[in-house]
Amino acid sequence: MVELQNVSVTYSSGVDALNNVSLKINDGDFAFVVGSSGAGKSTMIKLLLKEIDATSGVVTVNGYNLNKLKKRKIPEFRRTLGFVFQDFRLIPSMTVYENIAFVLRVIDAPLKYIRKRVPYVISLVGLHAKTNSYPDELSGGEKQRVAIARALVNDPQLIIADEPTGNIDPELSYEIVELLKGINDQGTTILMVTHEHDLVRHFGGRIINITDGEIVFDEIIAGTNDEPLPEEELAQTMAKAEENQPQENESGSAPASPQSTEDALIDEVIASIIAGNDQGGAE
Amino acid sequence: MKLSGVKYLANQGVENIWKNKMMAFATFCVLLISLLLVGSAVLFYMNMNSMIMGLGNQNEIAVYMDPSLSQEDVDSFAEKLKTMDNVDSVEYVSKEEAYQRMQSQISEGKAIFDYIDGYDFMPDGFSVTVINNDQIENTTMLINQDPMVRSASSSPQVAEFLRELRKVVTLIASAIIIALAIVSMIMISNTTKASVFARREEIMIMKYVGATNAFIRTPFFVEGMITGFFAGAGAFFITWAVYRAVYRILTEQGMLMRAFGIGSLIPFASLRLYVALAYVIAGALIGALGSVISTRRHLDV
Ligand SMILES: Nc1ncnc2c1ncn2[C@@H]1O[C@H](COP(=O)(O)OP(=O)(O)OP(=O)(O)O)[C@@H](O)[C@H]1O
Ligand SMILES: [Mg+2]
Repeated sequence: MVELQNVSVTYSSGVDALNNVSLKINDGDFAFVVGSSGAGKSTMIKLLLKEIDATSGVVTVNGYNLNKLKKRKIPEFRRTLGFVFQDFRLIPSMTVYENIAFVLRVIDAPLKYIRKRVPYVISLVGLHAKTNSYPDELSGGEKQRVAIARALVNDPQLIIADEPTGNIDPELSYEIVELLKGINDQGTTILMVTHEHDLVRHFGGRIINITDGEIVFDEIIAGTNDEPLPEEELAQTMAKAEENQPQENESGSAPASPQSTEDALIDEVIASIIAGNDQGGAE
Repeated sequence: MKLSGVKYLANQGVENIWKNKMMAFATFCVLLISLLLVGSAVLFYMNMNSMIMGLGNQNEIAVYMDPSLSQEDVDSFAEKLKTMDNVDSVEYVSKEEAYQRMQSQISEGKAIFDYIDGYDFMPDGFSVTVINNDQIENTTMLINQDPMVRSASSSPQVAEFLRELRKVVTLIASAIIIALAIVSMIMISNTTKASVFARREEIMIMKYVGATNAFIRTPFFVEGMITGFFAGAGAFFITWAVYRAVYRILTEQGMLMRAFGIGSLIPFASLRLYVALAYVIAGALIGALGSVISTRRHLDV
């Protein structure tokens, strides 16, 4: 579980990267975080990993109050989550196997378990043939799958991904998100920052838009290619989307045609969300 | 931590040397040079010291007996001398030898001996060497107190001079050794810092996956220790070879030996164990600590 309560972050340079942000992500959720460049998305991720501290407000992750977390407790806390970054962050001097096994060695897992678990997660991400390769010998997509395998190898409650598809082919992006979705189906909470409109449109789900350090939109949207949401849920989503429409009208956008298909409406909303158009989803 | 965990970390340390062989080699070289610098300064000092002590041992007390004493009295006095504190050796100097010594010590006005007939007027004497040259004045005084002795004299200036010389040499040597040690520390710290810096990314990633500082540092510790150990061993063998060569050259020159007390150079055999232990322990310790300390600034993520 992730909870931000009135969190602000001001860098020492004076930049206000996050401004009074409150957010709650429940166990088992899958959430996309979108927003334009420099909006504060990575800052939020850094907060959740306790790479930086909030200037004010309370950050709680997996039951740890990060404001009060002692330095020597940080390793213990980080073991409860997995991370996936745009730049992969694999240890170049270690093979695929060793990179993944390292997470289990850190927690002093029995050797027997490591020998069973690591090949299993490697096969989950379909990299069996690359077990003994070094990161330099892998493609971007393969590296990212290793990173995902590493993120899930110790069964974390939460996986945090900052633009995991940022450095790989768009077609491969879908595979990566499918993988994360699959992990989410097993109960792991997933928070994924992305820039890719198509991905969000395709998968739908909870979408959080951060613009200029503030959350300007936080709704569940049906994906175009997702299994359709149950009828009532979809209706609710539509109702919410329509609620937002009038505000858009006030600010001068063309009114959505009542005859527009559901897909088109969703497309429109997502487009405005991703464009970081805060009028589109003002709360 | 389980045994398998400890084994893993130790293995990582060994593997890391191979994986980062360039940096490990740089660390090895810097450690080797540092150990050689400080080690040879220490050895040089020890030998200087030993030489000065050796010179002091050449300092003698010249004892002249009362000429009226009988041969038995003189002989029994010799026995008494030998049992005195701080007395190393007692050498009997006959009247004839005493006369010759006197003759050789007087360079000008040798003609005076033409007027002297025989050497019977010379007293019996002893040439006494002491164990501790610093105490020579005291010993001389004690001998002088004996009523059988007409005169006992040593050169207090020589003793004093050698004492001062040792102080100065110790002071200069300490300064040089400390300076070399500081320079070495700086060199080693920069090298290990560079070596760790090259792997800061790796350290950061380890921290992200929840590794504790101790977990990350242990391989660095092992790595530094092994590198340092080999640097120590290398320094030992180089020192051994060079020391023996220099020792041989210096001690082969008999004249130098007598003039500068080079005979009291310390043979390597009597130092070998200490030199080996000192190098290897210092190398391993400095290597391990240097590498661990350098990780600190990168662990704070
Ligand atoms: N370490 C830092 N020191 C000072 N300012 C920073 C630092 N990191 C980020 N910022 C600033 O904080 C703001 C938010 O940055 P952040 O990295 O969170 O954006 P982002 O939403 O992740 O952008 P992008 O989509 O480009 O990755 C930006 O104005 C950025 O310049
Ligand atoms: Mg970012």
